[in-house]
Amino acid sequence: MKIIACYSNKGGVGKTAAAVNLAYAFAAAGSRTLICDLDPQGASSFYFRVKPSKKLKETLFFKDVQRFTKAIRATDYENLDIVPANMSFRDFDVFLSRMKNSRSRLQKALKAGGSEYDTIILDCPPNISTLSENVFRAADCIVVPVIPTTLSEQTFEQLVAFFRDNRLQRKKLLAFFSMVQRSKKLHRDTMERMQKKHPKRFLDSAVPFSTEIEKMGINRAPVATYGARKGPGAAYQNLHMDVVDRL
Amino acid sequence: MTKTDCYFLPSKAAQNLLERHVEKLSPVVIDDAPPSGFRLVDTFDGEVRKTGRLLFATGNRLQLLSKDTGFLHQVSSRTDGYVADLDEGDVKTALQNISPLRRLQAIGETDIEEVTLAFVDSAQKTRVRARVWFMNASGGGSAALVVLQGLRGYDKALNQLRAHVLASGGGSFSDGALYKSLFPMQVVYVPKPKIAVGRKEAAFDAANDIIHAYLPIVRLNEPGIIKDIDIEFLHDYRIGLRKIRSVLSLFSEVYSDKMTVSLKQRFSSLMSPTGQLRDLDVYLAEKDKFYALLPKRLHAGLDALFALFANRRAEQQSILAKHLKSKAYTQEIEDLVSLFAKKKKLRKGKNAGQPALEYSRALIWKKYGKVCTIAANIDDQTEDEEVHNLRIQCKKLRYLMEFFAPVFPKKEFNSILQPLKKLQDNLGLFNDYSVQQESLHALLDELNTNQKGENLEIAQSLGALIVVLHGKQLQERARVVESFAKFNDAKTKETFQALFKKQKAKA
Repeated sequence: MKIIACYSNKGGVGKTAAAVNLAYAFAAAGSRTLICDLDPQGASSFYFRVKPSKKLKETLFFKDVQRFTKAIRATDYENLDIVPANMSFRDFDVFLSRMKNSRSRLQKALKAGGSEYDTIILDCPPNISTLSENVFRAADCIVVPVIPTTLSEQTFEQLVAFFRDNRLQRKKLLAFFSMVQRSKKLHRDTMERMQKKHPKRFLDSAVPFSTEIEKMGINRAPVATYGARKGPGAAYQNLHMDVVDRL
Repeated sequence: MTKTDCYFLPSKAAQNLLERHVEKLSPVVIDDAPPSGFRLVDTFDGEVRKTGRLLFATGNRLQLLSKDTGFLHQVSSRTDGYVADLDEGDVKTALQNISPLRRLQAIGETDIEEVTLAFVDSAQKTRVRARVWFMNASGGGSAALVVLQGLRGYDKALNQLRAHVLASGGGSFSDGALYKSLFPMQVVYVPKPKIAVGRKEAAFDAANDIIHAYLPIVRLNEPGIIKDIDIEFLHDYRIGLRKIRSVLSLFSEVYSDKMTVSLKQRFSSLMSPTGQLRDLDVYLAEKDKFYALLPKRLHAGLDALFALFANRRAEQQSILAKHLKSKAYTQEIEDLVSLFAKKKKLRKGKNAGQPALEYSRALIWKKYGKVCTIAANIDDQTEDEEVHNLRIQCKKLRYLMEFFAPVFPKKEFNSILQPLKKLQDNLGLFNDYSVQQESLHALLDELNTNQKGENLEIAQSLGALIVVLHGKQLQERARVVESFAKFNDAKTKETFQALFKKQKAKA
């Protein structure tokens, strides 16, 4: 079982879109896939039209394997299931800080509850917290969307520094450029600079800015399922292949 | 593979499934495949269906739907015939429990249109799916099959849809309703009819009911014998006639003497042209067993012997087929069917009015007494003739008990029927070995008077077979005393008394 986290310490960078479309790509390639919506806002659950889980509250996520597996729902796509979000996930940090071995709790829960899956994709909330430390430890790789702008660049540097300072494996970080507008000089320059600075951290594939991706909110489905196979659909497909290569 | 949630559904109810809400879920068609032609394949006695499965063939493809394993597919150059004749594959493996003596055949043709439905909630999220097979048979019959597909985490929706399907007339596809809807003109063949004999029913009516139930079985097997589909048609035909004949001989004085004699004679005449073909069928079906009895150097003789049997069988089959197609036969069997359907011309005997319970008690008790008396006199030195007599009386006892089984408490009844069956197995083998020796002797005599080149080789093998069969017969003979003691233990005696002697004890 491989655990792939979609994470960014900055919001609005296309993290949930990456999680949903990557999960779809893994499942379509025949991998039994579970997407775990750790973000209490429940955006990936919304995209898959799955209602929030009512019973997987508070510490049960980490303590009760049966509850965890009972909360799993099939999506409308083959090989792809989801653990929908719950509003109490917003207090994960509080629960985790009270629990023993608080940094490896997530890994334990996923290994026990998600053992029948080949791939687990985590859609993570955008902050650095006890939960994200759990994510960094549990995940085999951390896919980080980066908009090629100054502010995003800065938050990415903060993330790399956090990994370095906390002796976390930096090679787990797989960044890719998201919402890219090649017509903008700022985007082109930022991409060139960051790739030079972090040659091993960045994947080759990039996801362009696209109204098709924005329409996911209306269509409530992965982009590849509603006729966007060529543009953004293909971009996520390439991202999937790059991630598979690095795994 | 997981268990399949699959149901038969009348076509109209299936059509409604496409249009109506199930609780708060709305149906959405997500796939609709154009109709294509299939043959529904089964044995004559519906073994595939009765074991909870349906077998479809199209071109050289076989598709097996099973409650336990879902769908299995394979390609086979043959899609009918014996299971052994199919190419190797998943379907063939799954069909290993079908009788090797029964041939698979197309029981009808149907178009199948497969529609896949998703039942979605208010957010258009699929909660449960269903595959619906709309089947339109070439003869005008129609039916549908619904396979429910639950989704993880949505058990409630699956339960709601299942309840809806069942409430709309859905049911098991293995109880015959599907075949009846698709092929309404075909009679579903039931080789062992359930005949409800009531405790107070007059013995005359019980006898008529049994004969009336077995006559259609006899008739339904005629086409299969004529077309020589498999040997079980003749076997079942003969069982039907034998049951009828045993009613006539065992139910004493329910019909007038004259009527009994006449009926016995008429049914014997129907049976007699079938004996030779059945014997040859058994030899050929058990060919491998005979080869296993003799050393390899005698197999060449067996090859010639079985070639001879095969030729004779072909002759006999053609003679019997001709007989069954003859006007005389058709007239006779139709007259008998009509006699037992109308009952007007049946003349009653002095026991005709006796209630079934008392009547059968007396008959069974008397027969059991006879069996015990014969058995008591059998030891290692007794003539074989007496052992044969014991076998015949046991067979009569078994038939009587089976005819009247509905009248007695099931548990106690079965507790004595099972040991009786075991005893009969022993006596049956003893008889088979004996009869086979006799018929092989007769064949040997025939060959001696009919000297030809290969006959010597056959004669050698025949001689060896007779010796081996004789040895086997002796083995079975040696077990008889012990077998009977096992059958007639204290508990059996007690149960026979309690069930059949009760009335006398009270008096």
